[in-house]
Parts: sequence; C-alpha cells; structure tokens
Amino acid sequence: MWVDPVQLAWGAEEEAFRAELVAFLDAEVPEEMKGGRDWIGDESPEIPQWASEFQAKLFDSGWMVPSYPPELGGRNATPLQTLIFMEELASRGVSRSVHFGGYAIVGPSLLEFGNEQQKSMAPSAIRGDTVWCVGMSEPDAGSDLASLQTRAIPDGDSFIVTGQKVWTSYAMVAEKCFCYVRTDTGVAKHKGISVLIIDMDSPGLEVRPLRHLTGAIEFAEVFLNEVVVPKENLVGDLNSGWRITMGSLAHERGALWVESVSSAQRALEGLVEIARRQGLENDGVVRRKLAELYEEVHSLRALGYKGFASFAQGSSAPEHSFMKLATSELRQRLYAFGMELQGPYAAVVDPELVEEGGRWQQSWQISLAATIGGGTSEIQRNVVATRVLGLPRG
Amino acid sequence: MDFTLNEEQVLLRETARAMFGNECPPSLIRDAFYDVTSTGPEDARTFFDRHLRDWAALGDAPVVDLCLFMEEAGRVLAPGPGWVNTSMFLPLLRLIEHPLADQVAAGEMTGTVAVCGSDGYWVLSEDPVRSFVPHAKEVDLVAVLSAQNTVSCVPATELNLQEVATLDRSRPVFQFDVPVGLDTTGVSAEELAAVLNRGTVALAAELIGVGRWLMDATLDYVRERVQFDRPVGSFQGLQWKLVDAALLLERADAAVYFAAMCLDSDAAEQHHAVHVAKAAAGAAARRWARDGLQSLGGIGFTWEHDLHLRLRRAQASEQLLGSASWHHDRLAELIFSTG
Repeated sequence: MWVDPVQLAWGAEEEAFRAELVAFLDAEVPEEMKGGRDWIGDESPEIPQWASEFQAKLFDSGWMVPSYPPELGGRNATPLQTLIFMEELASRGVSRSVHFGGYAIVGPSLLEFGNEQQKSMAPSAIRGDTVWCVGMSEPDAGSDLASLQTRAIPDGDSFIVTGQKVWTSYAMVAEKCFCYVRTDTGVAKHKGISVLIIDMDSPGLEVRPLRHLTGAIEFAEVFLNEVVVPKENLVGDLNSGWRITMGSLAHERGALWVESVSSAQRALEGLVEIARRQGLENDGVVRRKLAELYEEVHSLRALGYKGFASFAQGSSAPEHSFMKLATSELRQRLYAFGMELQGPYAAVVDPELVEEGGRWQQSWQISLAATIGGGTSEIQRNVVATRVLGLPRG
Repeated sequence: MDFTLNEEQVLLRETARAMFGNECPPSLIRDAFYDVTSTGPEDARTFFDRHLRDWAALGDAPVVDLCLFMEEAGRVLAPGPGWVNTSMFLPLLRLIEHPLADQVAAGEMTGTVAVCGSDGYWVLSEDPVRSFVPHAKEVDLVAVLSAQNTVSCVPATELNLQEVATLDRSRPVFQFDVPVGLDTTGVSAEELAAVLNRGTVALAAELIGVGRWLMDATLDYVRERVQFDRPVGSFQGLQWKLVDAALLLERADAAVYFAAMCLDSDAAEQHHAVHVAKAAAGAAARRWARDGLQSLGGIGFTWEHDLHLRLRRAQASEQLLGSASWHHDRLAELIFSTG
C-alpha cells in the first residue's frame, strides 16, 4: 500500500553490501522477532534464548556492529554501509540485542578508555556473552547526572563503594555493572567522577526489580553497601569518568535516527489501516491529521539523511541534534492518535476487543518513556538552544 | 538518498549568495515594496534586468540547482519575476517546444503563468478569468493554462491586467479575462503537473530562504537584546519556542531538497514529496515570521524593521500554488488511493 522510499543511486558496492545483508536477515531473523511489535520488554526480565543466539550469530557473521573489524563483530563497514545496515534492520523492526548497554555503551567505552585487560572484555560484551548493565542515574541524579553521589573510597588495593543506582536496565540478569561513582568530593562535580567495573554478585550489592508503568520489568534499583571493588577495575584514569559518559558507538552516531524514523513510519502506515477498518477513511479531520503526520514523518526522514551527508563527510551534523527530540515526541502523538481512532475503545486494554491486540495502547504507554530516557526533551531543547542555535546559557 | 552537494552546486550557491549580497541590499527590497504601484525608484524593477536574466537558464537545470538559487533569492527577497519565469514559464515553453524558449533561457524574454480561475485555487480552470498571475506586468509573455490541458502564449500587453492587491506588494499578482480564440497547444496532464510541481518546489525553496533570514535576524536580536540584566535569548521560555521553530525550518528545508531530488530522478514518491515540501516550507516560514515578530517585541511590529516584508511574503506565498491545508488534503488523497 505504501510508496517505497526512494533509494537514490547508492553505488554498486553499497548495493552488494545490502544484498548480502538482506540475504542474511531473510535467513536468520528469529520468528519471535517478526511479530512486528513496537516494543521490547516483558513481564519477565530474562533474556530469551533466541535473542542471545541471534546476537551471537550477528557477531560471528560480522553483522553485529558492521563498522567494527571482524574480531569485534563487524566487517569494517563504511559510514554509508552502516546507514544501509540501520535502514534494513529498522525497516524490518529487527533489534540486534534486547540489552543495548553491552554492545552500544560498554563495549565501545572499554575499547576507547580501558586498559588491555579491560579491552579484552569488549568482544563478549558486544556478542552478548556477558550481560552488562550501566549504572548511571541515581535518585538525586537524573538529568543532572554529574551530581551523582555513589561514593567510592580508596582502601588499599580496593575501592569501597556505597550508594544507589536507579532505572538500571537488565540489572536483574547482568553479570557486570559499568558503574559511575564519585571518587573526589572536593572538586567541581564533573571532575570527581570515575567508572568502575563491578561484579553483580559482589557481597553488599542488592538488586530490586522496578516495574514500570506498563507493568513490565526491565529496570531495577541497585543498592551498593560497602561493596569491595578491586582498583584494577577502574576504567580510564581516576576522576576522568565524565569524559566516558560521552562515549558510545561513534561510528553509528550518524545513523541512530534511522530506527526511530522507521518505527514512526510503521506506526503511520498502521494508522492508515486503522482508519480504513474503523470506517474513518472519508472523515476530513482524520484525513488531514494523517497527512500532517505523514508530512512530519517524511520530512524528519529527509532531515536525518541530510544530517548523514554532513556526518559522512566528517562535518558535524547539527540536524541530528533535533532528531531524538522530534521523533520521541512524534512517536507519542502517533500512538495516541492510534488510540483516538478507536473511539470509545481508546482506553480498552483487553487484547480481544481492540485493534491489533492492544498494540496502540501498549506502544503509547511505552512511548511515554521516550521523552525522558536518554536525555529528557527539556534537556534536549536546552542543548539545541545553546549548542545549535548559539543562544546564551540561562 | 544523498544530500551531498557536488562542487558545481556548492559554487552555484556561493555565487548566488555573493551576487545577492552585493547587489540586493535591504534598501532595494524596500524600494520594490513601496514601488509596486508605480512611483518609487527604478532600481528594484531593473534588478531583474541587470542581474537575474543571467540566471534564467536555471529553468532547464536540475530542480536541486534551481532550489539552491531560489533559497538565496528568498533570503534577500529578490525583486522581479525570476521565480515564475525560471521555474514554470521556461519549462512550459520547453514542453510545447515554443520557438521563443531559447530566448527565455538566454534571459532575452520573460514570462509568467496563468493557472487559477477567480476562486484562486491552483488547479487547471474552466473559468473565463485567470487570477493570481504573478508579476504579469513585469514580463513579456503570459502562458495561459486551461482545464483541457492546453497552453497558450500571449503577449502581456494584449491582456487587460488588473492587479489583485495582496499583503505582499513585492510579488504583485494580476487577473485578466482570457481572450477568446487563443492559439493553444495540447499537452498531457502529467506534463503540466510536472511543471507545476517544479514551480511549487521552487517556491518552497524560496520560503526556506525567507525562513532562514527570519531565523538569523531573530537569533541575532535575542542574543543582544538585554532585559532584566540578561540577554532575552537566555530565557528558557524563549529558547524552547525558538528551538521548536528551528526544528520546523530544518525539517522543511530537508523536505524541499528531498522533493527536488525526487523530481530530478522521476521517483515514484515525487507527488507525495512535493505536497510535503510546500506544506512544511510554508508552515516554517510563517512560524518564523510569527515567532520572530514576537521575539523582537515592539520593534518587530514597526514598518521600519524589515521583518514585515518577510511576514508578508510568507503569508501571501502560502496561498500561491496551494496552502498547507490544500496540500495536506491532496496528500491524503494519495495516501488513501493506494492499495
């Protein structure tokens, strides 16, 4: 029913890359991932066997992080090839991993900042053999991450760590935590932070699952009470942790928007189908609203590609500063409209009674996290105002 | 889709920007604005003669190139019939293989197009009147389109042109009674639609330029203007408003060049893309006119400040070749018409 997105003349080498990827995905994507769900996370915090196997297979075939060399689960892909990789995954609704911290944050950070022994932990983090959680947020350190208070006090060959982390994804099943701690209280708050690798089975460490508003368990609180961490588990230099918070998959930064735009496009296509099924196809208000959403989704897609053109040439891409802000707020409106199209059944969650087994109600709830996690929309606006528009700090 | 500009395109943009920067100062625009009905300085009316004729051949160029030029023209609000002459009139003459086409491309003759009837909607019309014909008094020829998919090329002097006064006096529009017994050339509906698409995207690019000027002027002002002992641009309430407006302009900008690329490659998505481009560009320009005015405070509401010239262009051009609502409704037709 939909016009295929234009794929304007990528070169033969890129198309060969795409063809090989498509063949792999057609053969290997697990059935469980083909349900077309808009969300991950469930009643159970366990990582399903099929998800672990798929991640390992991606790694072994050089499709986990294509821009990396083969020993890190890649194939030395170019930026454009990485973009194609993201497009193909996103258009299928395929996730590489159900726990993104390991391959997207911990692996790359260990490679960039770790010592030789720590670097050697990166492949298993990316392959998913070792499940990691990332200890960043605290009860009093959300948007203001640098004010984190979990203390690490030197004691001989160890640090003694005491404090609390929250919103820690997959802490229930993780073996290790990439944990941000305060190692100097006498300096400016950004300058006294370090990163420690903490084993999750350490004495004094307790994990309490935190059910989020959809009812699913993905987050946890992590309590640390005089946990002994060997000094060799320090990542990078002492008090240099703030720099590490900026580390992630730099190679993929130019293409991170693809997933969110694709999911918005899938939602939009779904809305058109609901409008048809609900007999609202000829409703002028519905039609105009859908066209407005179409305009938004497709102009954001164009903006993402425009930013990529700068990124691929090594320039900064201010366009991409807008993408998280725009797509997270758009997603909420798309799913809310999917509920609205169901009239009095908008708030019904019985899967038997509503469109697509409750997809829209469920996805709308999940989407409420999108404007909070990974930098709230308010913080995003502040950042764009000062760094992109060059306005004075408030 | 690849938004990377090639060297020639970068050069084209830089050349156009330099030319407009040197030759099209704000005073000239104001002259154009005051001048339309007659008395003001001649500079604005001759701006096209002196500078824009050289660029007329862009009507034969890729739409992306045309848009790069139109964006710069929109930034300075360049006077004259360049947009309609280049983006629609020349392609129409090429379409009907008119003997004067080469002269138009060489800048030796100029023209405009007459599409809508007196209701003002930009669809091919049966009406005996043509209205909203841009710049008709500044050009040599008028191409009259009809609902039978015909084109007639008429000397402007043979038409009884009546100006329809709009908010934007720097882009005068006219109406006239269509003379009977015109020579007509038949073309296909698809070919005419392609020309109108080209004009629509070029106008959208111009609106992006209008929006860029407004954004730059607004940001410059709020960085400098001090109230309560701090620059007003440091207030979060103002910052967030401007961030949202900037997002609107950035995505509209990308949508315009995406549409241009779709037209250049004859992509299946081209009609969708044109509707998206005009709707988004019009909304972004009007948003920056409104939020820019609000951010400037009282000075933005004066005749003296150049903001109102862009406000007028943004409002008036919204109605040329279809408003955002009109394009959304056409887009909905496309969305629901496919299997």
